[in-house]
Amino acid sequence: MKRLWVAMAVFAAGLSTAHAEDILIGAIYPLSGNASQIGVDAQAAVGVMSDIINTDHAAIPMLLGKGGGLPHMHGAHIKVIFADHQNDPQKARAEAERLITQEHVVALIGSYTSATAATISQVAERYEVPYMAMDNSSPSLSQRGLKWFFRTSPHDEMFTQGMFDFYKAIGEKTGHPVKTVSLFYEDSIFGSDSSNVQKKLAAAAGIKVVADIKYRANSPSLSAEAQRLKSADADVVMPSSYTSDAILLMRSDNEIGYHPTIMAQSAGFAENSFLTSVGTLADGVMSRSSFALDAVKSRPAIPAVNAMFRARANKDLNDNTSRQIVAVQTLADAIDRAGSSKPEDIRAALTKTDIPGDQTIMPLKGVKFDSTGQNTEATPVIQQISGGAYHTIYPFDIAVQAPVWNVGK
Amino acid sequence: MMTNSILRRRRNELVAGVLVLIILAVLPLPIRDVYTQNLIILTILYAGLSQAWNILGGYCGQISLGHGLYFGIGAYVSTMLFVSAGIPPTIGMFAAGIVGAVAALLVGWPCFRLSGHYYAIATVVVGEIGYLLFLNWDFVGAATGLYVPFHGENWAALQFRTSKLPFHYVVLAFAALTWIVAWVIEGSRWGYSWRAVRDDVTAARSLAVRVFPSKMAAAAISGFFTAIGGAIYAQYVGYIDPDSVLASSFSVLIALPAVLGGVGTLWGPLVGAIVLIPTSELTRSYMGGAGGIDLMIYGGLIVVIALARPTGLVSLLGIRKQVGGANAAPT
Amino acid sequence: MTLDTVLQVALSGLLMGLIYALVAAGLSLIFGLMDIVNFAHGELLMLAMYATVLLNAATGLDPLLQLPVVAVGMFVLGVLIYRCLIGRALGVQFNRGMVQIFVTFGLAIFIRGAAQLAFGGDFRSVNVSWLGNKTVHFGGVYVPLPQLAASLVCLVAFAALLGISRTEFGRALEATREDRDAVALIGIDRDRIFALGWGLGAAAVGIAGTMLATFYYVSPTVGANFALIAYVTVALGGFGSMTGALVAGVLIGEVEAVTAQVLEPSLKQVGMFAIYLVVLMVRPRGLFGKI
Repeated sequence: MKRLWVAMAVFAAGLSTAHAEDILIGAIYPLSGNASQIGVDAQAAVGVMSDIINTDHAAIPMLLGKGGGLPHMHGAHIKVIFADHQNDPQKARAEAERLITQEHVVALIGSYTSATAATISQVAERYEVPYMAMDNSSPSLSQRGLKWFFRTSPHDEMFTQGMFDFYKAIGEKTGHPVKTVSLFYEDSIFGSDSSNVQKKLAAAAGIKVVADIKYRANSPSLSAEAQRLKSADADVVMPSSYTSDAILLMRSDNEIGYHPTIMAQSAGFAENSFLTSVGTLADGVMSRSSFALDAVKSRPAIPAVNAMFRARANKDLNDNTSRQIVAVQTLADAIDRAGSSKPEDIRAALTKTDIPGDQTIMPLKGVKFDSTGQNTEATPVIQQISGGAYHTIYPFDIAVQAPVWNVGK
Repeated sequence: MMTNSILRRRRNELVAGVLVLIILAVLPLPIRDVYTQNLIILTILYAGLSQAWNILGGYCGQISLGHGLYFGIGAYVSTMLFVSAGIPPTIGMFAAGIVGAVAALLVGWPCFRLSGHYYAIATVVVGEIGYLLFLNWDFVGAATGLYVPFHGENWAALQFRTSKLPFHYVVLAFAALTWIVAWVIEGSRWGYSWRAVRDDVTAARSLAVRVFPSKMAAAAISGFFTAIGGAIYAQYVGYIDPDSVLASSFSVLIALPAVLGGVGTLWGPLVGAIVLIPTSELTRSYMGGAGGIDLMIYGGLIVVIALARPTGLVSLLGIRKQVGGANAAPT
Repeated sequence: MTLDTVLQVALSGLLMGLIYALVAAGLSLIFGLMDIVNFAHGELLMLAMYATVLLNAATGLDPLLQLPVVAVGMFVLGVLIYRCLIGRALGVQFNRGMVQIFVTFGLAIFIRGAAQLAFGGDFRSVNVSWLGNKTVHFGGVYVPLPQLAASLVCLVAFAALLGISRTEFGRALEATREDRDAVALIGIDRDRIFALGWGLGAAAVGIAGTMLATFYYVSPTVGANFALIAYVTVALGGFGSMTGALVAGVLIGEVEAVTAQVLEPSLKQVGMFAIYLVVLMVRPRGLFGKI
């Protein structure tokens, strides 16, 4: 009889560990308002990575790709709760507090815009919960001495460095170096961060900035701005714009018969709606990216993950959604290694993160955080549009096609 | 007799005011969850802001759709003083109020010559110009905005790690102050002149009311308190940028509680805020993911209230109409 | 700055200005008739643009051919809005001014939410059209065909609206504007006139939306990009004055183009708003408003 009781107790204990509680993560995104599509896509991306970790499926060749829950946490599942910040820092802050105190999430992820990341990271700091910035690219975020802030993807300085590395390489390769650039950026934190770095790196590379155009985001017209770009006639135009203005810029350039070489700071230029809206006008546009859909040789997990994403969102993974997937993967890995859902344990595990690049779907060297929480191994690629899709052209060793380079011709 | 009944009514209002103040003061004590606390704080803050708007928009009848400008100016002045000169926001907010009042006078000077929709649209445009200038003004951080550095718990700086209770009393004091100001104005000669200006400018002139100075006085008081509200908000959120404190949507958010609660009434702004702020926050939190339904509920609510209760929600509570309502003769 | 650049800037400003005038026409009409500023104007524009994009995607019909369909659809919507909301707002005894402002404001938020729900947040565009992305050039000066067409439509629309004002219906409109209560005595149904006015105003927005969609993107918040400029156009021209809206639109378009060319492009809207305020200081009821 006694043995039976013991057996039942053991069985019960086994049951309770087999059905370990879900590990809750809070995600804060714009789900309504101007940037709502970003939030909707993020839900799909985060859902895909949660499925990969939690459910049983054919193994995907990446970290945590075997499924069946977190191995060191008795197969516990991760569950992501979404909240809407409507791109308002106050609401982002309130939602972060709600998720931590009410939903008891053990980590926060987010948030697309820099202003909301600013307040979410403050809340994370005060409540001592890790905040994983999945797709915020403002360098200022990781330069504020925050203890609980982490970012897997490159920030604008690293991205821009990638562009200038490419200019140097392509100049040496083709004998047509970039001598002048025009900067074209929106009047937002993203635009000013991006253009400041571009100015600094251009000066360092001896490239002259012949037009420095800060424009009003979501203007009814960009004709005059396009006219100024045309007059400046730089070797390369470098825009930092979201989707709406990216579409309008391509059309406004075309309207005045201006067809420059473009090197974009991703954002709007990476969106599907940009590609479908401007069609063939976008041929030849280059952009930095933290993702290369075509790098399947070095990142074998891409086809399976992309298929899962397509099933949910009816579009391919892009610059933003791929970053979200890797960020969730990194966070889940830290929780798994910590073997605990205590925020301080997760933070400790995050600081010891060391994921090789080929265990992710991004073309980065790996994931390793420095003391500011920034992934130092994050490296961008340069891609070019042809036939309505982006193709990787740099670094040359993972390029799938040769760049079309019209500078100097 | 008339005077006696007015005096008695005003005394009763004051008693009611004190009672509401006491209720609001003990309200947060049993509440432990941060989300509800935040909701209450925002509601009271908007009640105060909307009361400040009500002073110009309700009592004086000038429908300003540009109060976001004074709100933003307040947020920026106190934050700049704190960040670059180390002046704590408890002092900085009064400097913010003064700058806000001056700004309201500068805007009022040209705009008060306009009437009706010309005035309303001019205030929208002035607010938008302010937004664009701050967005391009590097000295105040331009688009990057300003972080309020956290230096540990500190009452003078209005900084508290995770507790929301202190902020509850800060916004309550602010809202109570605006209420008292509105109460004093209701009973003062100024109040009578302003209502005369609102109800019939020509008649007001014939009664020797100085129309332009009346509007300017209302604007200055309104701008002063709106800016103080902005200063508190900046400290509460911990980060400001032009989009989050100067966007034109703020101007409407500030006016709405008073308009729907009961314009030109003492209790309208509070009642309106109690309905609107939780609706907007709760629908976003629990329906925001459903893509647009939260906005439909919020917008629909505004339409329904405006049409069904043009005198404002206070009329549902059986609270009498505003003193000398639009249809009553000025006394 | 070369002569070509000067001409190009002037032309871009003119085309854009006529488009602003077209967007503002419906707003001006409704205001002139019943002293209401429709704060959901941008959202009506957005709906018309979506209608164009979706019809185009579904049928492959050129946006120009859709003009009548969208205009009629918007006419019906305008009448409905008047019958369900605005008519009631006009009947309010108290706070009428504020009720009108905030009813249309609430409607704007509602429509934006509904668009978000129905169409999602993605940016869309007309992809198949005769004029899309086509340009003709004279020397170094380029003329984009979609904008040129929109400008011509603008001129036609204004001519039509002026023509309407000379008909029987136009005179009834005018009489209703002059004295709302007296018209009832001579057998004019005020409500019917107002409903038709809203229908016409919305149809004008519909035409503007269709033309805009030939070169501009659509999203649930696109209305905001044009709405404030439309209000400024109408106020600058003088509420209710059609000629005023036309002149003000062109003035604003030119000021915007010149500001963006010679000053900071991010401040170009400050330029147009400043001009508006300066004019209002001199003429408080706009360029062509009745003093």
